[in-house]
Amino acid sequence: MNAAPLFAVSIYLHLPILIVVISLVYSATRFERWGNIISEAVRWGLRMSAFLCSIGVVLFLISLFI
Amino acid sequence: MRDNSPTPYSYSPWAGFLSFLVPGLGQIYQGRVGKGFLFLVCLYGLFFYGMALGSWKNVYLPDTASRGGIYNPWSLPVPAANLYNRLQYAGQFWIGAAAWPAIWQYINYDERQDAGPIFGAFERTPNEEELNRLQRDGDKTWDLGWVYTVIAGVLNILVIYDAFAGPAFAEGEQRQKLHQEAAPA
Repeated sequence: MNAAPLFAVSIYLHLPILIVVISLVYSATRFERWGNIISEAVRWGLRMSAFLCSIGVVLFLISLFI
Repeated sequence: MRDNSPTPYSYSPWAGFLSFLVPGLGQIYQGRVGKGFLFLVCLYGLFFYGMALGSWKNVYLPDTASRGGIYNPWSLPVPAANLYNRLQYAGQFWIGAAAWPAIWQYINYDERQDAGPIFGAFERTPNEEELNRLQRDGDKTWDLGWVYTVIAGVLNILVIYDAFAGPAFAEGEQRQKLHQEAAPA
């Protein structure tokens, strides 16, 4: 198994800023209080990260067999 | 950290327009300064980060429809066909004033020149050769960049609505007030 290509592709390094901005902006349009905004943003950030990671894992597993 | 800034109770078209102009400006105008700056930093940050990823050449509106043929198969009005051929700009447009130079460049485009008036090459349609080079040598960052700019523009629609009508969920005193209004007499 060669996992090197996963880490060689630096395009994924740009992803965190996208997740942070979408989580914060979306949450701030839902709520007015900072506590609610931050907790909602953390929830959305974790959901999106988990979703994207699961897609990455599935694609990686598929790539092993194709 | 509690924000005691006022929440708008009625619709505010002017604040909505200000947030369209510059993300968060409507909220700052309403006194919701913290949120306003959050929107400003996040959305301009994302938009210009996306532009930088694309070598500052992925926000533009090209004049392709005037070539006819496959560029305007349904004989749409030229501006509509141009927008259809570059749908990314329909999303980027909502970031507000930061995307307006592209319209200026579109109106004043002269393919014999290397740069347009006032804004130079900023948000100007790249020529075919340059576009090919950016996409060939850019390690996909040119495409990733326009995705970021489109997401920033579309997120600003939520921000405009927040300035226009307030946050989606009522909180605290506002929630109590709504409950009292909804309760049977």
